Parts: sequence; structure tokens; C-alpha cells
Amino acid sequence: MSDAKKTIIGFVCERSLPLEYMLDGGKALLDDPDTKVVIVPCSGMVKPTFLETALAKGADATFVCGCAIGDCHYRTGNLMIRERLEGKRSPKLRKTTDRRKVGMFFVTMKDRTAFLAALAEFKAGLDARPAQEE
Amino acid sequence: MYRKFLRLTKSLTVSFEKVVNFLTTQEHNPLYFHGALPLYIFWFLIFSGILLWMYYIPTLDRAWSSVNYISALPVPGDPVNEAAGIPYGAVVRGIHRWGAAGMMITTILHMLRVYFTDRHRSWRWLPWVTGVALLAFVLFVGLTGYLLVWDARAYYIVVATQRLLEAVPVAGAALSRFLVGGDGITDYTLTRFLFFHVGGAVLIFLLVWMHFIRLKQPVATPSRATNFMVLGFILVAAGTLPAINITRELLQKYAADPRIAAQALYVASDAPAQIGTLVDTIRYDAWYMFPYWLVQNVGVTWTWLILGGATLLLCVAPFYPKDRRANIAEVIEAKCTGCTFCSQDCPFEAITMVDRAPGSKFKQIAVVQAARCSECGICVGACPFQAIELPELHSKTLEADLLDLVKKGA
Ligand code: HEM
Ligand code: SF4
Ligand code: SF4
Repeated sequence: MSDAKKTIIGFVCERSLPLEYMLDGGKALLDDPDTKVVIVPCSGMVKPTFLETALAKGADATFVCGCAIGDCHYRTGNLMIRERLEGKRSPKLRKTTDRRKVGMFFVTMKDRTAFLAALAEFKAGLDARPAQEE
Repeated sequence: MYRKFLRLTKSLTVSFEKVVNFLTTQEHNPLYFHGALPLYIFWFLIFSGILLWMYYIPTLDRAWSSVNYISALPVPGDPVNEAAGIPYGAVVRGIHRWGAAGMMITTILHMLRVYFTDRHRSWRWLPWVTGVALLAFVLFVGLTGYLLVWDARAYYIVVATQRLLEAVPVAGAALSRFLVGGDGITDYTLTRFLFFHVGGAVLIFLLVWMHFIRLKQPVATPSRATNFMVLGFILVAAGTLPAINITRELLQKYAADPRIAAQALYVASDAPAQIGTLVDTIRYDAWYMFPYWLVQNVGVTWTWLILGGATLLLCVAPFYPKDRRANIAEVIEAKCTGCTFCSQDCPFEAITMVDRAPGSKFKQIAVVQAARCSECGICVGACPFQAIELPELHSKTLEADLLDLVKKGA
């Protein structure tokens, strides 16, 4: 693990995590200040271009967090973004996007700990990788 | 207050489901198929019902014995029952009866889940209100099913229903006659009950279709693991406790026969109905017969008030508490190419594609029907041309936020 400071941008559905207890005054996660959060009403609102913009403008990684699969408040939002990021539904991620820097988490509002663990694993995976050819 | 209550129920539901997620993973959590479950069980009812229908005779003197013929356990030495019956008929009848209980239970669970997780309000009023009608129909079809057996309990239900109907102002007497098809109970009465039962089941199909009108891609099939689990439940229940007609006399007479004794705890139906002889205690099936428990314990008027009040409360539930609705999706006309992506992805069928004037650059334009819009923004995620936006959360704003955060982080 490197201790270099990272910038991670997450798009988080307001219904998936108990965000009101998870952010510092601004938009950084209390448990992981490297991670900054953009709040959306539903993970299905996230356009793949948002993730691409984040990476292009200098974020080290980016992710989407939505409700548990099967439990989207708007029925299908999390399925849509999952299919988009997996390249099964338009609009898709650009082919040149480094998929390893794009994460997906699907959790319930009671899964805060599980989410933080998955996020830590995602970050560790970034460090473990050889330098990217960009 | 009420909002707080809804938040609490949601929190409790999610906590409970989290435990199940831990055991089954999200993809196979049976609780996430709450709407698909009653529909799945409905198929069991249709198929087993068709088999029963083939042998059922809807007349006063043959109804009970035809049901008995379907399901009778062969009883050694009994002139009627020896080696009689249809192979596995009692099991098919058991599937029908346990399936009916299962459908009622899963329908109620589905309703509670939808309510507890705040998925019943506002733009969802149509699935909710058709859901209330579905609940009433499931109850109606279940009750008419009990009538077909034409045992002492069925007769009790008919008499109690007539009393309920007669209490209706003005139309009461006519309704009561309509129920039995004339002034008294005749063979036509049972023909009518069979019609109610089968016709009601067909209407359930129609209502399910209405239930889905505003739901894009309804989750209507449970995961395979869930399917096998439900199949297992029903078969085990129907196999160990098949539905049979053992009268109390038969039970006494053949108490020594282990096959009969084994069923003693689950006497499925009563002795044949005797018109004019009302049993003083009926065995309640909690899922279907609660209205008659009410009739017996609080009287006809209160039964109407309780059932009517509950239905009314259910029907108005989706309209309270009111939400502030200021973030309904808007189409930017100049940018919309009519590609249909947004209307394909909108989970509540709120977007229709409308033809543009002839000679326009693009053939169609997306139009949002405000009352159906959930303000979820899924259409924003779907549109490749930035032609649809939530007014209070423009994707330009989101992008600006995002750039801000990247800058701060670096
Ligand atoms: C025969 C009984 C019923 C069947 C087969 C049935 C089936 C379903 C199915 C398959 C869905 C779609 C779930 C999804 O894809 O998100 C659904 C949704 C829904 N049901 Fe039912 N349902 C029944 C009864 C009821 C009842 C009794 C109510 C409430 C009174 C109800 C209220 C709703 C509501 C509000 C939704 C929309 C949920 C959402 O938008 O997420 N349903 N139902
Ligand atoms: S925000 Fe868009 S996708 Fe969501 S319900 Fe409204 S029109 Fe449909
Ligand atoms: S996705 Fe965008 S461009 Fe396509 S029809 Fe909808 S609003 Fe128009």
C-alpha cells in the first residue's frame, strides 16, 4: 500500500447509504477523507460520462454506489447503471476508460461497514496494480 | 409523525432483509421477490384447479361427494371409500388449498413490504390501488373456493354472507338473492359459486395486468432458488397434510387405521352441508375466514364498518403524506433526437414518444407525464444527448460539483 494521497470520486445514491452520518461538513467521507461524494437521487441517474470526466480531470478512481440489487427504490436504477458500466446498455463507458479505476457497490442503508470494507478493498486494488499506461 | 413512522418501518424492514442478504446474497433474497411470489404461486393454483375442475360436480347432492371422490383416502371396508378416489387426488387438492393460503400470505407480505419501504405513495398510486383490488379478489376467490366443497362450513358461510348482504341498505334483498341465484339454495347456487370462483381467478389475471401498466419490466419471476424453495414448501405441505374430507364419524369409525389417524389433526373439510342445519362452531382458516369471525363476534354492522373502513384507508394511503414535487424531469426540445432511450429506461412509464411536426429534423420527441414521474433521474442517465434534466439537479451542476471535488482532493 502506498501512502500517497488519492482522490476518489464516488456517485452515491442518497437512499443507499446513511450519508447524513457519513460525511464531514463538506463532501468527504468521515472514514476515508480521500473519498469525495457526489449525491444523486438514484444511482441510475449517473451517466458514464460523469465517471470519465472525473478520471480525466485527475481523480485516481471513481465509483458508483446504489441500493442493493433487488431493492432499488426506483425499481431499476441500480440495474441500469450496472448494465451501463458492464457495457450491456447504452450509454456505455468509452472503450479507452480504465475499468480497474471504476468501482460499483450495491448496498442497503444498513451496510455502512460492508461498504467501507469494499471501498478499502477497491483502493488497495488500485495500489496493487502496476503503473497505468495512460 | 406519520413520516417518522414510515421511516422507522423502512429501517426495520431493511435491517431484517440485511440478515437474509447475508444468507442468500442480494440476487437470491426471496424477500426481494415479494411481488413475484404471489404470481408464482398463482400458477400452482391454476394448474391444480384445472385438475380438480375436471371431476367437480356442482350440484347440491353431488358436490361434496365429488370432492370426496377426488381426494378420498381408500378406507378398507368402507363401501364408499374403499379403493376409491383419484391417485394423488388428495395431494392435488392439498396443493390447491396450501397454495391458496400461500398466495394470501405472500400477497399480504408483498403489500406490507411495499408499504413499509415507502413504495406505495404518490406516482405509485395505480399499482397500489389495483393491489387493493387484487387483495379483495384473492380473498373473494379463496372464499368461493371454500363454498365449492359444500360441507357444513360452506353452508355456514353462505348463510352468514346472506346476512351480511341483507344488511346493505336498499339493495340488500336483491344482493342476497343474487348470491344464491334465487329465493333459496338450489343446484344453480353451486353452478354460480363455481362461476364466481373461476371467473374471479380470471379477473385476477386482468387486475395483475393493470397492476403492471405503470411498471416497466416488473420483476414477475422469482429467482430460481426462490422458486424451488416455494415449490418445496407447497409439495411438502400438500404431501404430508393433503386436503381430504374426513368427517368426524369416519374418524371415529376408522381411528385404528393409521392412514386415517395420521390425518386426524388436519380434518380438512366437514360433513356434507345440511340445508337448514347450521353448525354452531366453524373452523376458521385465518387467512380467508376472518370476515366470518367478525360476523360471529362483532355482528353484521361492525363487520361492514371494519371491512369498509379498512378498504377506504388502504385506498387513500398512497395520497398521504403529500410530497413537494418540484423536480420532475424536463425535456429540452432542441436537443432531443427522439432516440427513445429515456422512455425505454424510465421505471414508471412516465415518458412517451410523441411525433414531431412534419419536416422537423427528428421524427419524435420525448414527453414526460408529470403525474407519473418519480423524480429519479434515470432518464438523465439514459440520455446520450443531455436532452432531459431534473430541474433542481441539472447534470451541469453535478459535473461542476464533481470538478470542484477533484480539484479540492488534488
Ligand atoms: C395477486 C396479488 C399481487 C400480485 C401478483 C402482485 C405482483 C406485483 C409485482 C410482480 C410487482 C412488481 C415489482 C417490481 O417489479 O418492482 C408489484 C408491484 C407493486 N405492488 Fe403488487 N401484487 C399483488 C398484490 C398487491 C397488493 C395487495 C398491493 C397493495 C395493496 C400491491 C401493491 C404494489 C405496489 C404499490 C407495487 C409497486 C412497487 C414499486 O413501484 O416498487 N400489490 N406487484
Ligand atoms: S425522472 Fe425520468 S426516469 Fe425517473 S420517473 Fe421521471 S421521467 Fe421517468
Ligand atoms: S434519451 Fe434524450 S434524446 Fe433520446 S428521446 Fe429521451 S430525451 Fe430525447
